[in-house]
Amino acid sequence: MIPFTVIGGFLGAGKTTLLNRLLAGGTGRRFAVLVNDFGALDIDGALIAAHGGDTISLANGCLCCTIGDSLVTTLLALLERPERFDHIVVEASGVADPGRIADIAVIEPRLMRDGVIVVVDAAEVRMRAADRRVGDTVTRQLAAADLLLLNKLDLAQDLPTLRHWLSTHSSAPILEAARAEVPIDLLFGLDRHGAPGGSDTANAFKSWSYEWPEPVARSVLLAMLRDAPAGVLRAKGILRFADTVDRRSVVHMVGRRIDVDEQGPWIEGQASRLVLLGTRAVLDWAQRGNTCRDV
Amino acid sequence: MSTIVYSARRILTMNPGQPFATHVAVRDGHILGAGSIESLKGWGKFELDERFKDRVILPGFVEGHSHAYEGGVWKFPYVGYFDRVSPEGKRSPGLKNIGEVVTALQAYEKTMPRDGSTLLAWGFDPIYFGGRRMDLADLDKVSTDRPVVIIHSNFHVLNANTPVFAKANITRSTNVHGIVKDAGGEPTGELQEITAKYMAYRAAGIELAAVLSDEPAIRGFAKVAQLAGVTTATDLHNELPESTVEAYLRATSSEDFPVRLLPAFAAGSVPPEQGIARLQALMKRNNDKLRFQLVKIVTDGSIQGLSARMRWPGYYDGTPNGVWNIGPDDIDRLLLAYHRAGFQVHIHTNGDEASEVAIEAVERALAAAPRWDHRHTLQHAQMADAGQFRRMKALGMCANLFANHLFYWGDIHYAKTLGPERAERMDACATALATGVPFAIHCDAPVTPISPLFTAWCAVNRLTASGRTLGEAEKISVADALRAITLGAAYTLKLDEELGSIDVGKRADFAILEDDPLEVAPEKLKDVPVWGTVLGGRVFEAPKR
Ligand SMILES: [Zn+2]
Ligand SMILES: [Zn+2]
Repeated sequence: MIPFTVIGGFLGAGKTTLLNRLLAGGTGRRFAVLVNDFGALDIDGALIAAHGGDTISLANGCLCCTIGDSLVTTLLALLERPERFDHIVVEASGVADPGRIADIAVIEPRLMRDGVIVVVDAAEVRMRAADRRVGDTVTRQLAAADLLLLNKLDLAQDLPTLRHWLSTHSSAPILEAARAEVPIDLLFGLDRHGAPGGSDTANAFKSWSYEWPEPVARSVLLAMLRDAPAGVLRAKGILRFADTVDRRSVVHMVGRRIDVDEQGPWIEGQASRLVLLGTRAVLDWAQRGNTCRDV
Repeated sequence: MSTIVYSARRILTMNPGQPFATHVAVRDGHILGAGSIESLKGWGKFELDERFKDRVILPGFVEGHSHAYEGGVWKFPYVGYFDRVSPEGKRSPGLKNIGEVVTALQAYEKTMPRDGSTLLAWGFDPIYFGGRRMDLADLDKVSTDRPVVIIHSNFHVLNANTPVFAKANITRSTNVHGIVKDAGGEPTGELQEITAKYMAYRAAGIELAAVLSDEPAIRGFAKVAQLAGVTTATDLHNELPESTVEAYLRATSSEDFPVRLLPAFAAGSVPPEQGIARLQALMKRNNDKLRFQLVKIVTDGSIQGLSARMRWPGYYDGTPNGVWNIGPDDIDRLLLAYHRAGFQVHIHTNGDEASEVAIEAVERALAAAPRWDHRHTLQHAQMADAGQFRRMKALGMCANLFANHLFYWGDIHYAKTLGPERAERMDACATALATGVPFAIHCDAPVTPISPLFTAWCAVNRLTASGRTLGEAEKISVADALRAITLGAAYTLKLDEELGSIDVGKRADFAILEDDPLEVAPEKLKDVPVWGTVLGGRVFEAPKR
């Protein structure tokens, strides 16, 4: 079963920017990405292995397809291709309900619904939501999200109000970014938040990310995650541990379970990065991340 | 340079200078003149053809909104409630209850190879079965070995049997929009919207899209149209992949292809720069029977599919507002690009909010790039009210109204989707006439059967399937309805100088009827038999029923 992710969000929210990040690679995953328009993509020419009209094959194993007139037939054609992909990502159109698209993965045995990411334009979303013609489209998208990527943060006016407003439309955790700069690994393996079901929306979620330019002590980091209060729901990180400085260690925490995988060599010049998702109430605890550096 | 003069019981020309004639002279595929035999003698030697002398000649009917996959769906059995005529002229009788549908499918299933291939059928419409819906058990009686998929007449809902559900692992715990469940929480066998579409293609194979628009499908479509007296038809939404273009070209290059075909390019499928270049290249390949020139933008869904974009107060039964296929910003962007490039754009709008957005997009495009005679056309415009028609008139727009809806879904619109007041003014032909908006009426085949006389009957009588008159005030006269299916439709396709009336110099495209539609009782208009057509002077006789 191939994990299946849908990226939704209104026109101009930054879906393409996010897709560009996926395709640029560095994650080691072979993505098959279904997009509305190649023109908006910014694929490094050196990366293009073959361009076949409505598909582009990349040297890193990724594939791009344009959706054209029918997502259904494009997706079925993709599933018939001989290549194997680690993940299928669909860019929903700016007015589509991404939750409905993600439903396909539930009834397709070859797919596994991985989640719905809705990219939100921090500067415009409330104006769009108040528009009599597209407001309901926007709020349906928010309600369908398993993860909200609050983008264009640099252009936002009143962040606390915006965060609260979002929490009244979606129970999904919020990742905050300026130019869709988020750790790719955080976008996958999502818990279900989107409708149908609609769980409690009283808790506002928040993410914190840390960067350490120097190698990190494994024991300290793991102890920190083990001791995390219940409000920390997930963590994902790509780290350079002091005991394996030449390896890329991927840390993944869901609930109380912590996994560490080594995935290839460490790329020189990068910083270790850890992102936590949780309720706002545990903010104080999260500040402790700074201590890892001192070990 | 031979000339043939056809005599007729009466010729209805649609030419106000000479509305009626008894003879029409044809030379080189064009009309040399119409009038009395005396008035035509001055053109010189001619051969008199009297085969239509007891029949009535009209300009060939123009179907301004249909889809060529009407010809493709006939590869699969039809299980609809109403009788329907296949491309071969064979009448499939309507099936009046679920038992009849199951029996017909069982018989068909026995003719299929025993290889587990999917049984796909179409045209099913349970709204006429008094509330009883089809379920898994019904279709399991057809087969429990092979997948069975029944597509509803609206093409947005389907029923399937247990093998289909088992393969997709759909159970009571599958929490997906579009899986219909009964009161006890069990899936009934009905799927809707994207879930339905996915399952239909999954079960039938993705070649489904190809078989619906290959050359035999296009030929089948032309045949069905010709049987109904149509000489010009649209395929009003197509991505125009090269395979389909080749199929159009092959089909239309043969002498016996009986209609002129106008595909409309699906503007939403590629960025406009690409689409414009592609369309301009395709126009160089136009021939007498194939014309690339139209562009289509699909804005909202359908009223009965609960996906139309409506203005306040929305759906009568409280259903939330529908969905955009292409949202307001993109409508603006696409329309402006094709408008600037000089194209005529046909905009699908069912709900009145969609019509409003489209009208405003045309207004903005005209402000940005003034243009004469663009004739941008609202397709369906089912809920457009008088104010919207006045705006359309002021902007130089046309409308193609979905008159067949009044009959097929009028009762549902009255009771559930629109309520009495808006249902009675939907597909407002009389308002279009009164405000001076050039208009046509259409069938949207295969959503409803292609038959312009039936469509005209709908606009004249406004009767629903249950017999209710839906909006006395929006009825139009038979003469106006006949104009709407000939010259009116030709105008909305920018073909009115070339066809649509029987007038000197125009193409010799005729519909040959067994009776005079202006003489029969208006409620019998749909029953006037079509003898056949003439296309560019070539006679196409319909097979006898
Ligand atoms: Zn339409
Ligand atoms: Zn249509």
